[in-house]
Amino acid sequence: MTRSKITIRKHFEPWHLAGNTLLVGAFIAVAAPFLWVFLGSFKTGTQLNNPTLILFSPNLANWTHVLETGILQAAFRSVIVGLITVSIAIIVGSMGAYSISRYKTGGSTARFGILTAQVLPPAILVFPFLDLAYRMRVNGTLVSVVAAHISLVLPVVTWFLIGFFDAAPKEVEEQALVDGLDRFAAFRKVVLPQVAPGIGASAIFGFVISWNDLFYALILSPGNSATLPVRIAGFNTFRGVELGAMCAAILVSVIPVLIASFFIQRRLVQGISGGAVKF
Amino acid sequence: MSFRARMMIPLLVVFVAAIGYPLISSFVLSLTNYRITRRDETKFVAFAQYQDVLQDHAYWSALAVTGTFIVFAVVLELSIGLMIALALQNQRRFRDFSRSFLLSPMFVTPIAVGLMFRFLLNQQLGAIPAILEKVGITYDFFGPGRAIYSMVVIDVWQWTPFMVLLLLAGLESLSKQPFEAAKVDGASPFYTFRRVTVPMLAPILTVAVLIRSLDASKVFEYVYAITRGGPGTETQTIQYFTYQTGIQFFRLGKASAMSYLLLIMVISLVILLFKRIEKARLVS
Repeated sequence: MTRSKITIRKHFEPWHLAGNTLLVGAFIAVAAPFLWVFLGSFKTGTQLNNPTLILFSPNLANWTHVLETGILQAAFRSVIVGLITVSIAIIVGSMGAYSISRYKTGGSTARFGILTAQVLPPAILVFPFLDLAYRMRVNGTLVSVVAAHISLVLPVVTWFLIGFFDAAPKEVEEQALVDGLDRFAAFRKVVLPQVAPGIGASAIFGFVISWNDLFYALILSPGNSATLPVRIAGFNTFRGVELGAMCAAILVSVIPVLIASFFIQRRLVQGISGGAVKF
Repeated sequence: MSFRARMMIPLLVVFVAAIGYPLISSFVLSLTNYRITRRDETKFVAFAQYQDVLQDHAYWSALAVTGTFIVFAVVLELSIGLMIALALQNQRRFRDFSRSFLLSPMFVTPIAVGLMFRFLLNQQLGAIPAILEKVGITYDFFGPGRAIYSMVVIDVWQWTPFMVLLLLAGLESLSKQPFEAAKVDGASPFYTFRRVTVPMLAPILTVAVLIRSLDASKVFEYVYAITRGGPGTETQTIQYFTYQTGIQFFRLGKASAMSYLLLIMVISLVILLFKRIEKARLVS
């Protein structure tokens, strides 16, 4: 008894050590760039010329400057675009995904179509969006960005949701129908709560895709109603003064996501192992 | 109308409006010489744009650049990602914290990551070249012959977490029995990894590589933030080249033809890959 325990431990200790060393290395690799930019956001122009300077008296000028450029408004616009996009994608996607999963609507064609839509190069859809926005005189507004983001998010979200509906047990729902609920009520009151974690994971995933997008937003709405990534791209300059502001701008986009990722990480791992990754 | 159709119609409508319409419209655009600055002169030119693109040396070079980028980035992300996923799975303490933290880069908007590394790796102002200088190494990360590999490093930093996420989810959904059996039989951890973990994880490894490759083919932000295609055209990826053609030179017709050709290539590759997988499945 004791003997076998010892042999197992002998086997595993060096691997654990190697694993933990790797994790510490990865931890440093992830943290260092964040910390460096964080320090940079408190440096003055001259201090920024000294890359290895770590101890200095922090200066808030970069932050006040960045907040005056309307970056918070840009972040707010990004949130709005993300929320509208995800709401539409989840409502429309969950109904369709349920129909595809439960009633085999559209058969393999529907599934294949949704899969293929995720392969489309973004450049293939963006020019018609731009052209249409010009014709409808909504170019440079968030309407076209939302439309483009739906094309980006809807296939992914629907694909995830089909997987979750496939994995959900059917008994409870059948019982609900026997008990006299109509089909839509059964879907709303019984099926949806069953896949709620999946819907949460898909919604978060969709939101992150929209929040991170630069390509569509840059082309469709580069001006006054720019989203956060477009605004941040605007700090792309190498004059010493702007460098500190750029650091602060980067952090404005990093901090909320960093906080959010602490809350959603476990749900994402569960969500994906719950059936989203399969073909 | 049946219930299943009523549930399906909203999806169908939005799908056609947001994807079907632009897809067809883009194809129509690719058959014209449309320029947004000269809309009145738009003419139907059949496949002339396609011919033009296929003969364009810059297009093929952009494809090659993108291909190099994908291969290096995905191979590194897969190997590092698998090691980290295994280490995280065996970790005993601080699990939640280390998972959230190590996954965080994938949630940061890529343009911010690009700018962060542009600054970090900059020769005069960056910390890493400054540290290297102290040990006597001078290395220009965005110099000729190197810039594309620095892009790979940035992609690895941001997207290895995505690999970790997929592989960790995969590892945790594997059944425990084969591992216990291997342990009882006294198999070494390395043997177990090669003969039990990898084969069982194979479908997820395939999916992860596929998703990451497709995603890496769209690389745009790092190029836009850092090199704008340079030095020369060494980092001119396909997505950036299309952006330039369409937006800076206003040639929407040509840019659409470029995207369509890319789509045809990508879909053929994916179908080929799937046939291979099906065959492998039938053999085993």
